[in-house]
Amino acid sequence: MLKKSKVPMAKQLLIWGCLLFWGATATAQNSYTLSGTITDQNNGETLFGASVFLKGTTSGVVTNEYGFYSLTAPQGTYTLIISYIGFAEMEKQIVLDRDLKVDFEISEFSTKLEEVVVTADEPERAILRKPEMSVAKMNIATVKRMPVVLGEVDILKSLQMLPGVTNNGEGTGGFHVRGGAQDQNLVLLDEAIIYNTSHMFGFFSVFNADAIKDVKLYKGGIPARFGGRVSSVLDVRQKDGNNKRLSLTGGIGIISSRLTVEAPLFKEKGSFLIAGRRSYADLILKAAGEKNSVGFYDLNLKTNYNINANNKLYLSGYFGRDNFEFGDNFNSGYGNSSGNLRWNHLFSDKLFSNLSLIASKYDYELGFVLEEFDWISSINNYNLKYDLKYYVSDQFKLDFGASGIYYDFDPGQIKPTSDTSAINPLSLDRKKAVESGLYVNAEHKLTDKLTAQYGLRYSMFNRLGGQAMVDYANNQPVVYNAVLGIYERGTEIGETNFEKSESIKRFGNLEPRVSVAYELNEFSSVKAGFSRVAQYIHLLSNTSSATPLDVWTPSGQYIEPQLSNQYAVGYFRNFKNKTYSLEVEAYYKNVDNRIDYIDGSDLIGQNTIETEILNGESRAYGLEFLLRKNEGDFTGWIAYTLSKSEQRTPVGTAGGLGINNGEWYSTPFDRTHDISVSGAYRLNDTWSFSTNLVFQTGRPVTYPNGQYEYEGLSIASYADRNSDRLPAYHRLDLSLNYKPNRRPDKRFKGEWVLGIYNVYGRKNAASISFGQNLETGTNEATRTAIFGIVPSLTYNFKF
Amino acid sequence: MNLYKRISLLFLVIAIAACEDVIDVPVQTAPARLTVEASLDWEKGTAGNNQTVKLSTSTPFFDTTANTAVTGATVTVTNDGDGTQVVFVDRNNGTYTTTEFAPMLGQSYTLDIQYNGETYRANETLNPLTDITEITQSREDGFNEDDLEVRLLFTDPPEEGNNYLFKFQKQGELLPELEVGTDEFINGNEIDWWYEIEEDDETDKIEAFVPGDIVNIEMYSTSEAYNNYLEILIEQIGGVGLFQATPVAVKGNCINTTNPDNFAHGYFRLTQVIRTSYTFE
Repeated sequence: MLKKSKVPMAKQLLIWGCLLFWGATATAQNSYTLSGTITDQNNGETLFGASVFLKGTTSGVVTNEYGFYSLTAPQGTYTLIISYIGFAEMEKQIVLDRDLKVDFEISEFSTKLEEVVVTADEPERAILRKPEMSVAKMNIATVKRMPVVLGEVDILKSLQMLPGVTNNGEGTGGFHVRGGAQDQNLVLLDEAIIYNTSHMFGFFSVFNADAIKDVKLYKGGIPARFGGRVSSVLDVRQKDGNNKRLSLTGGIGIISSRLTVEAPLFKEKGSFLIAGRRSYADLILKAAGEKNSVGFYDLNLKTNYNINANNKLYLSGYFGRDNFEFGDNFNSGYGNSSGNLRWNHLFSDKLFSNLSLIASKYDYELGFVLEEFDWISSINNYNLKYDLKYYVSDQFKLDFGASGIYYDFDPGQIKPTSDTSAINPLSLDRKKAVESGLYVNAEHKLTDKLTAQYGLRYSMFNRLGGQAMVDYANNQPVVYNAVLGIYERGTEIGETNFEKSESIKRFGNLEPRVSVAYELNEFSSVKAGFSRVAQYIHLLSNTSSATPLDVWTPSGQYIEPQLSNQYAVGYFRNFKNKTYSLEVEAYYKNVDNRIDYIDGSDLIGQNTIETEILNGESRAYGLEFLLRKNEGDFTGWIAYTLSKSEQRTPVGTAGGLGINNGEWYSTPFDRTHDISVSGAYRLNDTWSFSTNLVFQTGRPVTYPNGQYEYEGLSIASYADRNSDRLPAYHRLDLSLNYKPNRRPDKRFKGEWVLGIYNVYGRKNAASISFGQNLETGTNEATRTAIFGIVPSLTYNFKF
Repeated sequence: MNLYKRISLLFLVIAIAACEDVIDVPVQTAPARLTVEASLDWEKGTAGNNQTVKLSTSTPFFDTTANTAVTGATVTVTNDGDGTQVVFVDRNNGTYTTTEFAPMLGQSYTLDIQYNGETYRANETLNPLTDITEITQSREDGFNEDDLEVRLLFTDPPEEGNNYLFKFQKQGELLPELEVGTDEFINGNEIDWWYEIEEDDETDKIEAFVPGDIVNIEMYSTSEAYNNYLEILIEQIGGVGLFQATPVAVKGNCINTTNPDNFAHGYFRLTQVIRTSYTFE
């Protein structure tokens, strides 16, 4: 739907923003501003989410992604408290009689370094008061301590231990948030869009934990500065690199090894990080004479340079690739790569800005040696972003900015690799589009108890010309064949050619985001939020689980943008002197224009995707509980989610009743019950243990409901889409951590991690397929389980 | 060019770590439906007058006992051009036969079935089939370069829209294997279509071809609609794995004109066919 033209909208936003400024600045007289950066004393890494509070007041602030804080208070003498998860609290006397710029370095708890657990991500009083909700944040130290499959620390798998986050079964990539699809997650690595988060089909994630500083997942209440995906935002930030000294971190495992090098540059004015990871299953397989091989590697790069107190540059990059070989005749590869240049600039001690120039790419290729052709497909994007944060007063902070993304989709090309190839060359139409956004968001402390966050994003999407679009009879790419009772491709009646200067279709959407937090008392608060998000690009996948070969496609003439509204309420409480915390949230969301696929849809090599899909909607609702023990030798949490995720595809103009007769049916991401228990016990400085226990309702699938004889075979007839379920999924993992710490003063620190994944060896079904026994001809159900019991041993070191 | 199947095979790598076993699974049971196997195949070089239509009913998925033969139905096929009608004779064992069918290339025909007071109707056109120029064998092609495969060489006609059905059955094996192809990426080219049996190292149930093995080969010309039907049907034979399309109900072309919801399984097809066999050396 095309709303008003964009110019009046921009103007409206500006006026609205100015009004807010004016209203807020009026209260900020006779005050001074304290600003600066908070870093880790040990390695100079800036800290995101560290809090700075004025003791005995309600004034405080949390550092932004670049460790910057700015706090304005009336003239006076204060005791400043600086705290951050896992770090020793720091107190400092400040005489605030003028604007001050102070940088702080804080240090980790010396004795409890590795044992620091997921406590609340910010000091408890902040978490209660901030309207931010539906956020799952994980400390890398916690992630590293959890038991993992094949000994490789995995951020995505750890996040799935939190309420509202699931996967689609073992051996599949991606993750699902609050009943949403994989393509509804915006995954950012240092702000660059990552299109595929998995290595080796989901056995590993693309994030090398040694190179990652922090991870934040917005399950709802997505801040106005993010847009483009309706379910969630996963914001992953790479480390900047140690600017104090050379340091090495690494690990040697059974499947893969990794090494990270960090060091200062230019007399501590800058630093760099290079992290590499490689699996060697391929080498082992080849050595064993196996013709099939599989492997991945990735590389993280980051460097930064402090030009002066007001300007800082960051350059970061990621490059990852998976390769497969199947005998000599087939090979395949896929990977993400991204690069990002950022410039932090302080206009004043109250106005922080960041300009980012980002490029990212995802591509895959298939080589068919025998048939003599290659199949390649890619998606490229270039992204320019400018974000500003204005710390107007203690009561009022304003975020605003703009972004533009240029997309170039190459859905597929077939290239014969020789003159004798029987395959004709083919290029599917390249698709180009620009997605832009403009936002303003206010964090407003209305009273001592009540804080609100309200903002507006205006997003625009312009599907660019430069290609021909097929026209269909009655403008229907899919028609219902009432005689046969099936959906079929519409009748092509010609083509409309769009020039490069033309636009095929434009969309614009207003996306309001509001949340409020009310502090009931010192221990508890209630929060509520609403967010509306538009999504303009879609991942096409008609398979049980997404594969690396699924193709992204932009909205246009026949594909409408997905639009979601999410409502959430929550109750947050700390008790037993903050040793325990409880978070309860309920949510409801609906997504308009969620597509599903016609029976027998053919997406591979498909130039006219619109002939394979039907328009529908989805909705999800649920209740999430998270009880955590934050302190002590024993720490951990219990997470429980009760939820429903469904969709319906009543089709509309194509005719017929739609999929499953137009009724609501479960999405593949529906999990009625999802229980995760994670615990860690620290016996002493040398030994510690941790465990995970997971239980999930089985994934909705489609089973046969009958058989018939045809062509000498027994053919299964299938029931309604997603009307059956796999058996429930459950598993227990254990891990044992041993630190031979004989000389604590030595810089070299090593540890052994022995892990057992799926301790009781449950054969959790990744899929169940139905067919005839080749010898007896009778029908049978075959379960495929990816992992039985998987032990692993890893040696990690730090220098 | 069965690109789809080959691409999905690329994901068999998962099997390196995966383990498979047969389990008991409760499934839903749909009411029984009429199943029509009206395959009027005209073997090249013959008159094509002898034809059979098989009628049966569907059964619960794991059922192994039911007698599914349908008797007492009336089956006719009409030439849409000249109106000639052929009545098929009920053999009382679920088959209905005729010796009077007159196949004509490019001609459309209509199937009528009266059963249980309901009328089922289907329409289909007979398409021509190109000739196989050569059948050979090799090892280096196929998924496994050590295993033998049989290779059919033929030339796709220059006009677009040719569809093929292949049926391979190693003598001694219980079940045939079906493959379909279209000229979508290969129109007008000389085609080298191979068939190989990949050995299953774990179970020893599936053995690759060895010299002396005989494979029965059938190659059919099909209509586009039938090709679409077969693509889904074949994709789902033997089960649908992790990286294959979610299974769906496959609907054929036999419409119940009395009660459309009670559609029939199966298909009314008209093809030209080449039947041959090959002995591996």
